[in-house]
Amino acid sequence: MTEIPIEVMVNGTRFRRTVAGRLSLADFLREELRLTGTHLGCEHGVCGACSVLVDGRSVRACLMLAAQADGREVTTVEGLGAEARPLRECLARRHGLQCGFCTPGFLITATELLQDNESGKPLTEDGVREALSGNICRCTGYQGIVEAVLEVGNDTETRDDA
Amino acid sequence: MARVEDGTLLAGQGRFAADAAEGAHQVVFVRSTEPHADILGIDTAAARAMPGVLGVYTAADLGLDGARLPVLTTPNPAFAEATGFQMAEQRIPLLATERVHYVGQPIVVLIATDRYRAEDAAEAVTVSYRGRAPVTDAATALEAEPLYDHLADNEIARIGYSFGDPENAFGRAHRVVSGEYRIGRHGAVPLETRGAVARPDRRLRRVDLTTSTQIPHLVRNAVRTVTGWAEHEIVVHVPDVGGGFGTKANVYAEEIVLAVLARQTGFDLAWIEDRQEHLLSAAQGRDQVHRTRLAVDGQGRILAWGDEFLVDVGAGSLWVAGIVANTAVHALGPYRIPAVRMSGRAVLTTKTIVAQYRGAGRPEAAFALERTLDAAAAELGIGTARIREINLLTDTDLPYPRPIPYRDGEPIVYDGWDYRACLTKVRDLLPETERERLRAEHPGALLGYGLGCYLEATARGPYETARLRVLDDGAVELATGAAAAGQGHATVFGRVAATALGIPEDRVRYRPTDTERLPDGIGTFASRSAVVAGSAVHNGAMRLLDRARALAQEVLGGPVEYAGGVFRRGEAEIGLGGIAAHTRGDPTALDVTETYRPRTVTWTMGVHAAIVAVDRRSGMLSVLRYAVAHEGGNELDPEIVRGQILGGVAQGIGGSLFEEYGYAPSGQPLSTTFAAYHLPLSTDVPNVAVAHLHVDTPDNPIGARGAGESGTIAAYPAIAAAVDDALGGRIHCAATPLDPGLIHGALRKAAVLA
Repeated sequence: MTEIPIEVMVNGTRFRRTVAGRLSLADFLREELRLTGTHLGCEHGVCGACSVLVDGRSVRACLMLAAQADGREVTTVEGLGAEARPLRECLARRHGLQCGFCTPGFLITATELLQDNESGKPLTEDGVREALSGNICRCTGYQGIVEAVLEVGNDTETRDDA
Repeated sequence: MARVEDGTLLAGQGRFAADAAEGAHQVVFVRSTEPHADILGIDTAAARAMPGVLGVYTAADLGLDGARLPVLTTPNPAFAEATGFQMAEQRIPLLATERVHYVGQPIVVLIATDRYRAEDAAEAVTVSYRGRAPVTDAATALEAEPLYDHLADNEIARIGYSFGDPENAFGRAHRVVSGEYRIGRHGAVPLETRGAVARPDRRLRRVDLTTSTQIPHLVRNAVRTVTGWAEHEIVVHVPDVGGGFGTKANVYAEEIVLAVLARQTGFDLAWIEDRQEHLLSAAQGRDQVHRTRLAVDGQGRILAWGDEFLVDVGAGSLWVAGIVANTAVHALGPYRIPAVRMSGRAVLTTKTIVAQYRGAGRPEAAFALERTLDAAAAELGIGTARIREINLLTDTDLPYPRPIPYRDGEPIVYDGWDYRACLTKVRDLLPETERERLRAEHPGALLGYGLGCYLEATARGPYETARLRVLDDGAVELATGAAAAGQGHATVFGRVAATALGIPEDRVRYRPTDTERLPDGIGTFASRSAVVAGSAVHNGAMRLLDRARALAQEVLGGPVEYAGGVFRRGEAEIGLGGIAAHTRGDPTALDVTETYRPRTVTWTMGVHAAIVAVDRRSGMLSVLRYAVAHEGGNELDPEIVRGQILGGVAQGIGGSLFEEYGYAPSGQPLSTTFAAYHLPLSTDVPNVAVAHLHVDTPDNPIGARGAGESGTIAAYPAIAAAVDDALGGRIHCAATPLDPGLIHGALRKAAVLA
């Protein structure tokens, strides 16, 4: 079986590893690096639970090979820092999670959305729903997730509560 | 307010089954590719020779030839007697040996050093089959050859009862409407698939099984039934569970086989199901057809109600008694109905096994009754709200007895306050006028308004357990038999304990359920946990406090006062932790295991309202507005109750609009990816307005009623009614998922006529 040397930055740490050509990025993160916050919900690119950021863009780690991450920068849910704090707080306060299995994927997708939105244009509910529609939540009916992203994106209420 | 669970999950630090697999070898099951066939031979030689493969096993290799899954529920004798309930013996093998009955049925299990090699090896196992005719429809199955040799036919359970004088009423009624209503096969589909990790300990002769389940004690019991192991030889642990909704309130062959395989090989083993496996082989739900008759007088008052239903349980269901009984009881609805004729049958087919799915018979029953009521309203030319107003039970009717017992054998008495108030309330939350207002925003769509009522028996027994133990720092450790699967048990039960003990919530440590810490328990399903486990926690906390008080009086030498975890007598004081230290010689002194047995169920009623848009050109449906008003009890955490409703509605929308396990005429399953099985997305589910009408129940010490299934049950009829309304009555939606083809046809017909 082809073994491929890779060098990848994950959550700010550089890793050099040799991986099987067929190893998915998700399995690399979970099995090799023990970063189990990246969850596998479907392994065919639909549910979004395994979303990670690769060079700042969201990617389904089940559809990308570890070998393809060579030379790139990967951020998993464990690597989201201060920039995701308001989002985490709002998701908790607005009950945007129940079982929490899909939550890491939503955090990644929403973080990307919020970063992209630095134009300052207010987020709309329809826009947020569209942006999150590649992540499936089976527990919450999405209401709390959408509210949390809107609240952080438009900086509403956060200040009132502070 | 945030939940106790949230911080860990938001950090990506949850510990789900797959996260507990470190160091374990990987297990994969070889599954039937045939819907119905005799097994002629199983060749595992090639797979055994493959790199990384540690073993390949058939049932015979594991001593499991002839081993079967034990049934999970049998009816109460008084209930069975009163309702004519009967069921036949099911023989679902752990690993198939001679004959397969559905695609996805496990046949061979193998172990490899990693998942990739395990799947390579699974492909190298050859099973030879001689095909038999598939049966994918319940009505056909009733006439077909028996699918199991020990049975005379494919009827696996039946129920039938009547009261009042239905035939007389049908004969003399102003109108009798009849219909056939079908609710498609779909299911729980939690975002986390099934999965289990088994770690054997040779010296202790025990296996620790961590499995993504709602019912750890029933899994343990099933392992024991199959293997004959002692209770201490199999301990079941519940990790973080990524949603259950019923499919994980089932005992699976894979769980039992994994425990046996771990003991036999001595290996730590992990089986983490992939999504295709889940869609093929995890227990599914619904799949019922109801033939209904409703007799009404000139005003729309119900005179008699008849429902004859068929449940397709696929190759079998360990919960068949529950599903059939639930359907037959809940088909009585929240209405004044003087005469009823009810009959139902559960039928075996060559589709995947079935378990309870959120509602478990209630949504099917509600769909049949609510849709028939709408048909009667149309027949009489009165509104759908009006016919419900006329028939819903009010404060002058309630409490309302029914002349049959509930499933626990106790007489049915609906313990609500005023069901019509929920109808009024939901119409305040979402008035029909909102439909007119929305028309301007949606010029390309026809808009309709629909209502659906439900009544659900919640908090069924026979019992649930809780254990509370004071730790040396005065904190209280808590565990319940009702395992958590995302419902916020740590938050809710922690609060119940903290409230009863008068200590801060952060002084309670919730421990995930395991069968060693808490040897007895039942599990989380049937809208029961908050009430039944919550009551066990409450009573356990009160008993713990009584014990602590007696000990404090000993230590302090007389009567004491208690507040906030501390006992005081004059200047002297001792806290719960101090008493724990004082009684170190007797660790049981402040360690209480409580069992709570509800007298019977408590009933939650509600009404759903939906506004649905039908695209004029394509017939595509979207739910624009949604509201739920329900009559519930004391809310232990209002946000969590609301979350249960919201999530339940989303699942109801999924089942109404998209979700279906399809089967080809060849018997092959068609819905084996998320492309084919469409779960509702953020763009499919609207915000839901929820109103809670509080009605106390004195029957349990915390005054709670269950609500876990309330969000799902009435979604199907409410959405179907909204589509009828949008099309101005040119269609009567009688099957879910609603068929855009039929709707499109009705639109075209309308366009031609116009």
